Amino acid sequence: MSSAQKDSQAMEQQITAKAGQDLAAKGLAGRGDAIRKASVLSGCIALFVIFSLLTSSFYQPSNLLDIMLQSSINAVIAVGMTLVIMTRGIDLSVGSTVGLSSMVAADMLSHGLLAGVAAGLATGLLCGLINGLLIAKLRLPDFIVTLGTLSVFRGAALIYTDGQPIYGMPPAFRDIFAGHLAGIPTPVLFALAIAGLAFVVIRFTALGEQIIAIGGNEEAARLSGINIDRIKITVYTLSGFLSSIAGFVLIARIGAAEPIGGNGFELQAIGSAVIGGASLFGGIGNPLGSLVGALTLGALQNGLTLMNVPSFWQYVASGMVVILAVYADQATRQRR
Amino acid sequence: MDHDRAQATDAPTQIAPVMTLTGIEKSYGPVHVLKGVDLTLRRGEVHALLGENGAGKSTLMKIIFGIEQPDAGAIELDFLGRIKIDSPRAALALGIGLVSQELSLVPQLDVAQNIFLGKTDATRFVPRKHYRLEAAKILAELAPHIRVDSRVEALGMADRQLVEISRTLARGGRIIAFDEPTSSLTPAERDNLFRVIARLKEAGKVIVYISHRMKEIREICDSVTVLRDGCVIVSGNIGRYSEDELNNLIAGRQLSEEIAARPISAVQLDGPVSLEVKGLTSERIRDVDFRLQQGEIFGFAGLVGSGRSAIMRALFGMDAITGGEIHVDGKPVAIDKPVAAIRAGIALIPEDRRGHAIVPMMDIEQNFGLANYHHFTRGGFILGRKRKAEIRRMAADMHIRPDNIATQLRNLSGGNQQKVVIARWLATGARIFLFDEPTRGIDVGAKSEIYALLRNLAAAGATVLVVSSELPELLMLCNRIGVVVAGQMVRTLSNDGRLNEEVLMKYAALENVS
Repeated sequence: MSSAQKDSQAMEQQITAKAGQDLAAKGLAGRGDAIRKASVLSGCIALFVIFSLLTSSFYQPSNLLDIMLQSSINAVIAVGMTLVIMTRGIDLSVGSTVGLSSMVAADMLSHGLLAGVAAGLATGLLCGLINGLLIAKLRLPDFIVTLGTLSVFRGAALIYTDGQPIYGMPPAFRDIFAGHLAGIPTPVLFALAIAGLAFVVIRFTALGEQIIAIGGNEEAARLSGINIDRIKITVYTLSGFLSSIAGFVLIARIGAAEPIGGNGFELQAIGSAVIGGASLFGGIGNPLGSLVGALTLGALQNGLTLMNVPSFWQYVASGMVVILAVYADQATRQRR
Repeated sequence: MDHDRAQATDAPTQIAPVMTLTGIEKSYGPVHVLKGVDLTLRRGEVHALLGENGAGKSTLMKIIFGIEQPDAGAIELDFLGRIKIDSPRAALALGIGLVSQELSLVPQLDVAQNIFLGKTDATRFVPRKHYRLEAAKILAELAPHIRVDSRVEALGMADRQLVEISRTLARGGRIIAFDEPTSSLTPAERDNLFRVIARLKEAGKVIVYISHRMKEIREICDSVTVLRDGCVIVSGNIGRYSEDELNNLIAGRQLSEEIAARPISAVQLDGPVSLEVKGLTSERIRDVDFRLQQGEIFGFAGLVGSGRSAIMRALFGMDAITGGEIHVDGKPVAIDKPVAAIRAGIALIPEDRRGHAIVPMMDIEQNFGLANYHHFTRGGFILGRKRKAEIRRMAADMHIRPDNIATQLRNLSGGNQQKVVIARWLATGARIFLFDEPTRGIDVGAKSEIYALLRNLAAAGATVLVVSSELPELLMLCNRIGVVVAGQMVRTLSNDGRLNEEVLMKYAALENVS
């Protein structure tokens, strides 16, 4: 009995400590949605303010435009990732899809602009379709499928030219994917247009609502007659498709396609989505928020560079920010 | 109600209380489930906790077992004073165990491992031999037929309960709560459980016993507390109340009125047949036959796990149908997935609302629209104005509260969530409605609204199938009742006014009816 007594006393201490946390979490959860939206923007703004105070060049218009340009590749991928995450899925293969589709596009560009673009987009679509089919039809876990295809697609990109890069992009291609329109870099316009389109889909279409429903409660969605398989396949295919567009921007900007292009992009994209308010528990997300999330990560990297923080440390910083964002998601999530 | 409570206070008993709960409050969002509940548990007593679905019994048990935290109120234990029970782990350490409908055993582990699960110190090797010996010692008294090295998944429901009891005893358990322990037991298994409970009582344990079965409560319980709508109505020695008195206390006036209004063969059973099932067979049911008409309410009675819900699951394409035919309005239909059932005009309002029917973070309008995209979209875009108008109209008709259709479903009470689900299916134009435990987790006031909705559906010519563990509910609603035993429909009984709970229970337990 006395040992039980001791046990329970120790437990009580833990219990009271935890009760405080729970209460705090509950308070947050009540206004979770408002907090989510406010924190997305305020975090981004705070970062801009901090770096503007710490460096003299951060807030210069040319640098801000640079940040947008640098963030745009990630933003395009993050929009697709957001749709996937909203169904309570994950796509780890986006970086490899960028690599493979840009290699195919670069190669086929020698047959003309249209051939290159079409082949690249088709590759991205196919990569996404493979993910979607494996996940929806074979009922395999999304994490494992896309971790597997991360390796498969990367391998395919390396095999394609035996590991050699492809140099030289046609000027017309570079004009479209890394040019300017009315003084604004086209990658920024692509990112804006894609995020805006995705927002409309989520907000006003049956597809968008069904994406939310599947992420919110897949069983309820299925029992309401929603075609779960079709929607899952659709979001993964879209994710692959958008990755290939991001790949075009990448090779147009660099002027060369490398088989290892896009390496590590998945973390950036997942991070942008979560910073932008998407919940890894599904059913919650906003493509416009993810755009802000991508800007936040871009600003972080840019600011740290201006402060002469070595790039190795920037990996550490962005990783930690992503984990922090996921923690915030968990804390504001409704507990039941 | 306050008057009732004052009247019911017992003369102080000689035996000191082991556990005392005072003023326990609990709300889930806007739903006030427990409104200041007091409960005193004494050594060596079997204490019945009675109340309808949604009265707050299970929530109270979850609080005692640390699954839920009370919003207000105190829990005191005799040797510790005021305590907090933060988790089931803490509860077990304090000597409190819960044997619930959803058992918390790990099916893949063996009996001894389950009995000592959670007690194992993670930093040390498991002293398996020692645990096996200890487990065997406990089982020898309680259930000598269970082997310590059997995997739990190989055990039946009754044996799993005994393992769960053993687990509590292994921690020096003093308070053991049973939540509907007999709902899936055969009469023989039930008798054995009662012997175990009697032995525990002799050993000075406190037993809390939740059940709907008045007979068994009178058989084994010493004291009783009746909950209604989150309040204690009476608490005291069980001998002071007759069965009828207890039934009235549990239901309040409401149910008696409903029962008085019950249709006795109200529907002429000679209308057009809408649903005919011949030899329906799945993994869990065998050769089920029935013919239902438009306007009929047909009930399924049986033990939990007897296959009542499995019939619904098969009809809705959730379980694979391996044999038999389904005819809707005379035409054969093949139902291999929920979409096929929906196309055939069938709707399912499932038992597990949160898990199977609603998307908590979506609002009323969106949850309503979940099965209705074909009505409310053009070119892939949602026709917001049309859909809003439709759900507003239905929400007003059905008294859905709050009436703001942009309210997220997680902020609605169980009854209102249920109404939204029903509205969803009404809008699909379904003609056959499968209700699985339609009033589970719904408070008393909303229940009669749900009953009225069911009757209106039937009156409008729909065919309504109802599975319920609450036999008075079936007797009140249904024109006919089918009794399901071990996956088969053993009897179809006409609810002609002479049919009663006792007869239904006897058929359900496969006993002879004289």
